[in-house]
Amino acid sequence: MGLIAFLVAAPLVAAVALMLFRSESQRAVITVAAAGITGVASVLFAFQHLLSGYTVYELPQETSFIITIVMTAVDIVLCAVILWFSIRYKNKLALVIGLVQTVGVIYFANLTLPHGAEHMLTAPVYFDQLSVIMVLIVGLVGSAICVYALGYMKDFQHHEPAGAPDRRHFFAALMFLFLSAMFVIVLSDNLEWMFTGWEITTVCSFLMIGYTRTPEAIRNSFRQIILNMIGGVAFLVALIIIHLWGLPMSLASLPVVANSYVAPALIVPVMLLSVAGLTKAAQMPFHSWLLGAMVAPTPTSALLHSSTMVKAGVFLLVKLAPIYLVYPAASAMVVAIGGITFALCSFMAITQSNAKRVLAYSTIANLGLISACAGVGTAEAVWAAIFLIIFHTVSKSVLFLCVGTVEHRIGSRNIEDMDGLFSRLPRLTRFMMLGIMGMFVAPFGMLISKWATLVSFAETGNIFFLILLAFGSAATFFFWAKWLGKLAGVAQKAENVEGGVHKSEWAAIGFISVLLLGCCVLLPVISQAVVGPYLAGVYQTMPQLIGVDNLLIMAAIVVFIAIVLLTPWGRATDKRRVAVYLGGQCTDPDSRKYHASMGRTMTSTKRNWYMTDVFPEDKLTLAGVIICTSIIIMGFAACFILAVPFLVGGSFFVEREVLLVGPGLPGILAGVVVFAIAAPILGCLLDGCDRKISAHMQGRVGPRILQPYYDVRKLMGKEEASVNAVDEAYVTCALIFAILAGGMFISGSNLLLCVFLVTLATLFMVIAAYSARSPYADTGADRECLQVMSYEPMLMIMTVGFFTATQSFDVARLFQIDSPIIFPLLPIFLGLLFILTIKLRKSPFDLSYSHHAHQEIVKGITTEMTGRTLAKVEIMHWCESVLFLMWVGMFFVWDNPLSIVLGIVMALAAWFFEVFIDNNFARMKWQNCLSGAWLVALVVGVVNLFYVLITPFI
Amino acid sequence: MSFSSKSPWLIHYDGSSCNGCDIEVLDSMMPLYDVERFGIINTGNPKHADIFLITGAINHQNVNVVKHIYEQMLEPKVVVACGICACTGGVFKDAYNVIGGADKAIPVDVYAPGCAVRPETIIDAVLKAVKILDEKAAKMGAAEKNR
Repeated sequence: MGLIAFLVAAPLVAAVALMLFRSESQRAVITVAAAGITGVASVLFAFQHLLSGYTVYELPQETSFIITIVMTAVDIVLCAVILWFSIRYKNKLALVIGLVQTVGVIYFANLTLPHGAEHMLTAPVYFDQLSVIMVLIVGLVGSAICVYALGYMKDFQHHEPAGAPDRRHFFAALMFLFLSAMFVIVLSDNLEWMFTGWEITTVCSFLMIGYTRTPEAIRNSFRQIILNMIGGVAFLVALIIIHLWGLPMSLASLPVVANSYVAPALIVPVMLLSVAGLTKAAQMPFHSWLLGAMVAPTPTSALLHSSTMVKAGVFLLVKLAPIYLVYPAASAMVVAIGGITFALCSFMAITQSNAKRVLAYSTIANLGLISACAGVGTAEAVWAAIFLIIFHTVSKSVLFLCVGTVEHRIGSRNIEDMDGLFSRLPRLTRFMMLGIMGMFVAPFGMLISKWATLVSFAETGNIFFLILLAFGSAATFFFWAKWLGKLAGVAQKAENVEGGVHKSEWAAIGFISVLLLGCCVLLPVISQAVVGPYLAGVYQTMPQLIGVDNLLIMAAIVVFIAIVLLTPWGRATDKRRVAVYLGGQCTDPDSRKYHASMGRTMTSTKRNWYMTDVFPEDKLTLAGVIICTSIIIMGFAACFILAVPFLVGGSFFVEREVLLVGPGLPGILAGVVVFAIAAPILGCLLDGCDRKISAHMQGRVGPRILQPYYDVRKLMGKEEASVNAVDEAYVTCALIFAILAGGMFISGSNLLLCVFLVTLATLFMVIAAYSARSPYADTGADRECLQVMSYEPMLMIMTVGFFTATQSFDVARLFQIDSPIIFPLLPIFLGLLFILTIKLRKSPFDLSYSHHAHQEIVKGITTEMTGRTLAKVEIMHWCESVLFLMWVGMFFVWDNPLSIVLGIVMALAAWFFEVFIDNNFARMKWQNCLSGAWLVALVVGVVNLFYVLITPFI
Repeated sequence: MSFSSKSPWLIHYDGSSCNGCDIEVLDSMMPLYDVERFGIINTGNPKHADIFLITGAINHQNVNVVKHIYEQMLEPKVVVACGICACTGGVFKDAYNVIGGADKAIPVDVYAPGCAVRPETIIDAVLKAVKILDEKAAKMGAAEKNR
């Protein structure tokens, strides 16, 4: 108990001290000391309690009563602050809602306080594993960001107009006040106290957004306070209703009440609390406050608007998760809003060039994912939600801190200006790349959590959300990959501007990066020792979504990627450097200058793709706001219209337990070895046959069957030369991941992991192409990203279809079923054939680079790859072809061993079919590729999954 | 066994010419002659190419381009001058702006004369160039071993 009080008090004392001692040196000492103490205290707290499970602390009711009075006083002070600012800046809407809240707070105090001390909870303070995780997040990430703010604010003040008042002490004090409030939120069982913490964070955020007091900052801060006060009022009304029903003011008692005969009492309060959670988590239609909040200094964005405060919103939702199993209206509302927000905000992130806005949209999207998981309410979904919280916090805070520092170094937060940052800010950029990868690719935690999300939604058969998840994730790949590409470009002669980065900034970024890697590597341990027991406490089950062997493989890959990114491994410094290809006219490869006609020298420039016409931000926002607002209204209407037994009747879905029948680590290892040997041989022969058949279709003799082998052997023997030192290392990684993916497949392991690893391989290929900063390779890489975005939804739908047909994601499961999965999954199979054209790089969708038979001016993504690097690309292509054909064959395999022959025959037939298409269709525009693939995925996904998933109900 | 001769990839550059040889080079890449039989592929990128086919003469405008393309190719590499202009400058030899044949810019390995050069001659020249490519590859391999 002492430690909890200390956790709340220490930042509070620091905040007061910071207001008193205003000089810069004093502030540095106080900040570092307070951050250190808070961090150490939270770690200490975690050490003591991480494994101890749900524990409550009893307080004398008189003490509780005094604290409640103090909390109420704080509430009133906060209302006064809001009212004062509303009057000062003449904001009527804020004034009205502020008055409503003031009246509400006073009314509520009048209701509860006169009952005196004996009405108080006996045990108002608690913790369980989830709270401890939150304490760690707030204590470690939060303190690190406070330290970061020291250096950052120095530069920030420097960039302010001369004569601007120095109010940095106020800023620092707010940050610590905020930390204290967060501890109150995550450790209070008493809902009244939680509400006070909730309001403090709102007001802190309001003051920090308005920190610069520019008109824009003030406008955005009022938008924040208005939207968040809606949530606050909803919270307050929920409290009043709970009190009027005579129920205890305790978070832990809510599930108990929900499962008792008084369950109808909570129908409306749960809806209101959900709305409060959704506003704090910036879900549509309330999401605009978080976008506006990006005007605040970056530490604010990192601390409040990505890693902690918005997490308070989802924390409440996750705490309510077991209750959503009882109340279908609230559950449906939260899932629908979360899902729609995820998909739409991922789409809109594509259109942004401002790095902080991309981060904001991605934050909103991921919070949507977490909300949706919480809304489903099953143990599996909550597992996913908790890991999403952890990994989103660490990855996103690294990214925010890096963007903040980069902004001060290069004077811009526009992604276009981050071109070639890899050479200008080498260390910082690598951390940033790590953070970006941490957000969206295997093997990092975010992806594993998304994987778990997919599994848990497949288990509950939520087609609507699965489809949103599939498309949203595809968009996620696109906007992260293109940003990554901008960062990865290597300029040979660039000025290193890293010197001015403050020590405190390095310390914070490095520390959180270590946390990121540590969490990824330790994910299996965290799952077994912390999150599992938490779920066992709440649900009496420990979900097994993902095999431990798969998690271990992921952990190993994390280490590998960290080595590739952060160490000099694979940097080929002894290779001859050649200039990028600019039609033979290159004069300066670093600035891409070339001789043009009439003796002019021109520069080739390239911008990222923003596709504003495909994903118009204003229209998507409008659609999202309208849909989500109506969902909320319909949710509340349902509470009053529908019959009570239905409203407390629980969710209606058939939960399918996922079967783990994978082969285990030795099996996977054997599979990888077999694939590594067999796939290149088979792939090479297939490729040779392809060229031979194509030639015959054109009335030619064509090359020898072994021609692809000769090509690769020749490339191996060429001189070693490259445009930069890193591209071969990236391509090697891509090859390794492709082989690993194939090995996973043939050993019968997880199909989803196989798909994710193929995506990871493609990502490394894309980065290799971007690293050249060549206009041709960049265009190829952009198109490759577009292709991934086009086919990814279909692949996700394929894996979900596989699950619905076999009840497992493990390929080995095929040998236990008594009929091939082609029967239930025929539409999905046809969809797979469609996107296979994209994956195999065949016409009409060979946008990024086409294969052999098509001879074209420049080779797209492989333009700058030569010699051994190009040979590796070829081998990877062979392996991928074999793997994709095995996906086709998979549809025809069942427990009869002879069916493997059928599978091979069908795979070869599909191969021939693709070659035929390749030779008979001209290349199409990328718009057709995207819209075609998405339309096919949407139609076959909805039709097929709906058919398979409603079968149990018929 | 050397693999260079089994997979000669070409890049084609047309210098200062009447475009006759240029068309003939494209002709020889047509299905009729089916150079893919020999593993020949026409690439658009010096980094991927082993054989540099030049048609037309060298002038002050393109001399640096030719040098640049040659420099971007990876060893082992050979150059084939296709058509009389690429060999010596041809009828343009005395023009004020023409420097001469391709060998004024870069070392040429095979000369294939003709005006315009016939596709058969081009294919012959490429197959001759392939042998030189093999020799160069063997030399490179030996140098690698000695290192």
